[in-house]
Amino acid sequence: MEGVWVVLLGVLTAGYFALAGFDYGVGLLYRFLGRDEPERTRVLRAMTPFFLGNEVWLVAAVGVLFGAFPRLEGELLSEHRVGFVTVLVGLVLFTAAVQLRIGPFWDVFVVGGALVVAVGWGVLLADVLGGPPVLWAFGLVSLFLLHGAVFLAWRLEDPARALVVARVLFAPVAVFVVAAVFLRGPVEAPAVGLVGAAVALLALAGAWSALRARAFRLAFLGTGVVCAAPALAVFGARDVVTPEVMSHAPTLQALGWVAAVVLPLVLVFQWATWRLSRAAR
Amino acid sequence: MDTLGLARLQFAVTTSFHFLFVLLTLGLVTLVAVTQTRATLSANPVHARMTRFWGRLYVVNYALGIATGIVMEFQFGLNWSGLSHYAGDVFGAPLAVETLVAFFLESTFLGLWIFGWDRLNKWVHLALIWLVTLTAYASALWIMTANAFLQHPVGHQEQDGVLRLVDFSALLSNPLFGTAVTHVVFAALTVGGVFVTGVSAFHFIRRTAEVEFFRRSLRLGVVTTALAAPMVVGVGFAQFPILGEFQPDKTEAAGAAGGAGLGFMIQIGFLLLLASWITVPLLFRDWVVKMRFPLYLMVIGIPLPFIAAIGGWLYRELGRQPWLVYGLLRTEDAMSGATRDGMLFSFVAFTAVFAVLAVADWVLIARLAGRGPVEARVPVSPLVPAL
Repeated sequence: MEGVWVVLLGVLTAGYFALAGFDYGVGLLYRFLGRDEPERTRVLRAMTPFFLGNEVWLVAAVGVLFGAFPRLEGELLSEHRVGFVTVLVGLVLFTAAVQLRIGPFWDVFVVGGALVVAVGWGVLLADVLGGPPVLWAFGLVSLFLLHGAVFLAWRLEDPARALVVARVLFAPVAVFVVAAVFLRGPVEAPAVGLVGAAVALLALAGAWSALRARAFRLAFLGTGVVCAAPALAVFGARDVVTPEVMSHAPTLQALGWVAAVVLPLVLVFQWATWRLSRAAR
Repeated sequence: MDTLGLARLQFAVTTSFHFLFVLLTLGLVTLVAVTQTRATLSANPVHARMTRFWGRLYVVNYALGIATGIVMEFQFGLNWSGLSHYAGDVFGAPLAVETLVAFFLESTFLGLWIFGWDRLNKWVHLALIWLVTLTAYASALWIMTANAFLQHPVGHQEQDGVLRLVDFSALLSNPLFGTAVTHVVFAALTVGGVFVTGVSAFHFIRRTAEVEFFRRSLRLGVVTTALAAPMVVGVGFAQFPILGEFQPDKTEAAGAAGGAGLGFMIQIGFLLLLASWITVPLLFRDWVVKMRFPLYLMVIGIPLPFIAAIGGWLYRELGRQPWLVYGLLRTEDAMSGATRDGMLFSFVAFTAVFAVLAVADWVLIARLAGRGPVEARVPVSPLVPAL
């Protein structure tokens, strides 16, 4: 029973990084990819239909963390307070600005917010997994940039610039993954992190060749996996499934019913959103 | 101010900002859903235009509701880890249900509703706005379940210094839950009614050419307020005997700020009840529009239910002190081990960001509301090119 909750928490966390990752990437890139205002709007609009649905994976993940792992939640958030506050400030700015952007004035908040979120997650992950915060900040920013660029190469009518950006970003991401493995701190179960890094490198290689073969969906899937990998490595950094941190059966049972109804619904409706918005190719 | 004071102030500020946005979200989405239902059933295009206009304002307001809500959710763990440590098993359950059912599902439905405009079958699109409305109410329901547990903890058993859930249904039959959630829901409907009334009145003051559009909107707003206000007041007073039984010293504990909040809320409640009931007969042959001076009062009245709601919230929460979980966990014992500087940093950062964004959001809402139901050349938000 406990294992189910770890898997659920993992799925929600991975879903957040794989989906919202391209939100932040697009947020960082659209000023640069669009040469004038109409073009920038077009780039941003490739992402916006999915925006609300993407961001709330985090909310769901933290909800499950609170309900099923209450003592882990309190400890994790209060221990890494500065990192979480930073991520939250960035998230608030980015979330509001993306929805309210009615002119170029808001770009400061969209780009700035996305940058603060990416750097914040980097610093946080470095804090939990051990390793230089600068490396992780750089890593998460390039990772989200890559994921965003691949997404745009897939969805935009004119993908040339996005493709160039995506190709340039593969090398820094690969360097980051390898460096993160070598510079890691002592963790509970290092094997999880190593498997994560290996999966990330494989997915990265897969995305590279998929992009060359112009199989954009596959490339997007690949960079999505790479985005989710660092967050999943956290599960190896500390003991999550202990009776001390988890709720007891009655709480888990009540939550289980809700999750069993809600998750399929979310998946169906988010899939419908993807179906409804046609990609350029 | 010490660390505890800062942490409490941060919670109060975040909650108040969040509450201002979700109240209007809840009230307005109901009216949008009703309007869209009429648009789907009727041949008159005015209903579809009304749905679009009020839907726009709703979506712009939602932007900050979700942004402040994310901080709300994290704040428990950030500043009050003692709460998750001690009562997370029980308090965390309704909160987790809220994030899954409301946040997760509501945003997914809303995303599809916004994006599906003019793309989806009109019945499917109508079903989506009702699903958004339903999940929004579910959100209020579960948050109030969690809050009622803090006010009057039930359904738990203490084991090894930690509260364990023994009866989930007890959370829902908590005497401090049912009346409170009804009160909040009707307060939200009042906010929606007063808002729609005020914006419509503003257009009549400016002698709008969209007479049918704003006449219908004004009626919707006034009637909603007239139906909701007596319920808010009635259910509000119905809570006093319950409080007398379970939190007899609430008013004393609420102090000057909480007491003032309660006073304002009661006065505003009666004022809106009276004003809306006087206005209903004046809707006949648009008398209220021809008289003109009530229109100004309607515009000035827009902030009133918001002030009342914050006042009521202050009373409920301050009156719980010094307890976080009433009778079980003191507020001071629940705080995370953050430094004063760390707390000051997060307080200043969140407050500044919320203040700037809230003002920007309200300016945008005011501009859109003032522009009226014109086909927008520039989209309201990148999220809603179709709206």
